[in-house]
Amino acid sequence: MKLLERILKYQIITSLCVLTLGAVLFYFSVNYLINQEVNKELMRSKAKVSWQLRHIDELPVYILQLGDSLQLDPVRYPGQMALVERKLFNDIENEYQPYRQLVFYERVEGAWYRVTISKLLAQRQQLLEAVVMTVTFIVALLLISLLLLNSWLSRRLWQPFYKTLRALDSYQVEKHEVLTFSKQHTVEFEQLNQSVTQFTDRLAATYQNLKEFTENASHEIQTPLAVILSKIESLFQDESLRESQVLALSEISEAANRLAKLNQALLLLTKIENRQFLAGTEPINLVPIINRKLRDLEDLIEQREITVKTAIEPTGPVMHPALAEVLVNNLLTNAIRYNMNGGTIDITLHAARLVVRNTGAPIHIDPELMFERFRKEGTHSASLGLGLALVKTICQVNGQTLTYETDGPWHILTVTW
Amino acid sequence: MKLLLIEDEKALATSIQTYFQRENFICEWAANYRTAVEKINIYRYDCVLVDLMLPDGDGLEAVRELKRSFPETGIIIISAKNSLDDRITGLNLGSDDYLTKPFHLSELNARVQAVIRRRSFQGSQQIRFGKIQIDPQEHLALVDQQEIVLTRKEYDLLVYLIANKNRVLTKESIAEHLWGDDADLMDNFDFIYTHIKNLRKKLMDKGCPDYLKSIYGVGYKFSEQ
Repeated sequence: MKLLERILKYQIITSLCVLTLGAVLFYFSVNYLINQEVNKELMRSKAKVSWQLRHIDELPVYILQLGDSLQLDPVRYPGQMALVERKLFNDIENEYQPYRQLVFYERVEGAWYRVTISKLLAQRQQLLEAVVMTVTFIVALLLISLLLLNSWLSRRLWQPFYKTLRALDSYQVEKHEVLTFSKQHTVEFEQLNQSVTQFTDRLAATYQNLKEFTENASHEIQTPLAVILSKIESLFQDESLRESQVLALSEISEAANRLAKLNQALLLLTKIENRQFLAGTEPINLVPIINRKLRDLEDLIEQREITVKTAIEPTGPVMHPALAEVLVNNLLTNAIRYNMNGGTIDITLHAARLVVRNTGAPIHIDPELMFERFRKEGTHSASLGLGLALVKTICQVNGQTLTYETDGPWHILTVTW
Repeated sequence: MKLLLIEDEKALATSIQTYFQRENFICEWAANYRTAVEKINIYRYDCVLVDLMLPDGDGLEAVRELKRSFPETGIIIISAKNSLDDRITGLNLGSDDYLTKPFHLSELNARVQAVIRRRSFQGSQQIRFGKIQIDPQEHLALVDQQEIVLTRKEYDLLVYLIANKNRVLTKESIAEHLWGDDADLMDNFDFIYTHIKNLRKKLMDKGCPDYLKSIYGVGYKFSEQ
């Protein structure tokens, strides 16, 4: 939920609570005041009635207001004075209406009378409702207009924040971008923008450093390796070497070659992770890459008597062409390396999906673990154990998904984009 | 043939120089950008080998300089930088080839010979070794004027062997020359042996002496003795 929506939500909830509670309290307090007033009037009427009963034989009608009524009943014994509320039938309105009655006992000329003064509450009730409704309505209107003003103002005031957020959202460190913003009047937003600018500035510098470090490391490691390999090769030309020395040299040579390959593969992996290969805008057609690779690997495939079946349509993901090469290369070489002699490779490419299926020995671990660096099943000494890690990294960088499943003798690698 | 090697790593430079001297090439060495530019402007070379990262300058500048003064000189960039951008820039500037460090000297040798061959005029383009004659333009191999039918890999192998004649070639370097990055796909080098065996058989069928000598544990040597 958006920030402003959340704020609005809480504001509305609070307003509604306050409004409801306020309206109820207001109703009861007004009601109480009116009741008090009615009671006072009844007591006043009682005083008048008592006085008149004691001093005058007949009760004048005018002492009670319209709608009120007075009733005298002779009783044998007096009772307690009581104030009650009840509905009585009103002849004029022809319906039951609420009344408040004051019942008290008075002794007139030796006989006890129960005096009941009834007061019509209907008009007071209507007045009460009208007052509470009007006030509630005014307060509600005030709250709504305040909320509207508030949300409009928030949207306006928070605009720079959303601008910054959008800029951060589309930020790509590999573009060496530093985000800059126009000056803001709000101190907090100005502070935020300055922080973001400083942060991206540092980030770009660090990224540049890292990239340079990778390049330099490559240079620094490759050069001594080149020296080692060139010296070994020169030594091989020396005919005075004994056979055992030549054999040792040969093993050194193999190890050094392997080290060189490992270094190159790790550097490539680092470069991809550093996102130094930015995707273009056009999708890469994988068909020519697959065909070229299959042609290159033709004799290896033939030698191992592997059958290759292809069902490929001209399609492909949006990515750097060099990475597309590495992706296809590693998927195909993987399918050959871990195949069995006389096995099959099945390549399907269509509708945003590249599937490479190959026969091979079953693996005894979770296939997904094969994406880890230096993970090898079995003893393929020539393998660096980086092939599938490279494929995985390429897919991650380009937002593709890579899955590894096994189905009987089949190993199925699927790239989806 | 005269070569110029622009390379700041002395140990590597010595190996390369020694290697080419055995080939009867004159191989001069410039350890920095300044010397390199001086030499480029004074002498003429058949091929220049340039390292891109030099202590006092960018090797790519040396390539530009060379293209201005002697456009017919062959240029091979040897660099530890494998970044795609440098490779493309290098090739766009007119360098003939790009070799990433570390490399096999035999590979460098084969590339230098190929560049020199491409740059020289007709006639000298033919490769000869004993009874073997190769026309690189036609991809044709002849023994005593009779054509031998070779597969693409066998042809590449023959050219590579002749370029590195009288030298011990390791199996790794042969594998890398023929399969490039896929060389590590071969869990053992029996596969090279198959190609060597086929090539040897085809050559000997046409009356060629057995030039190929197998060196136990290391690789092969192609020589007339």
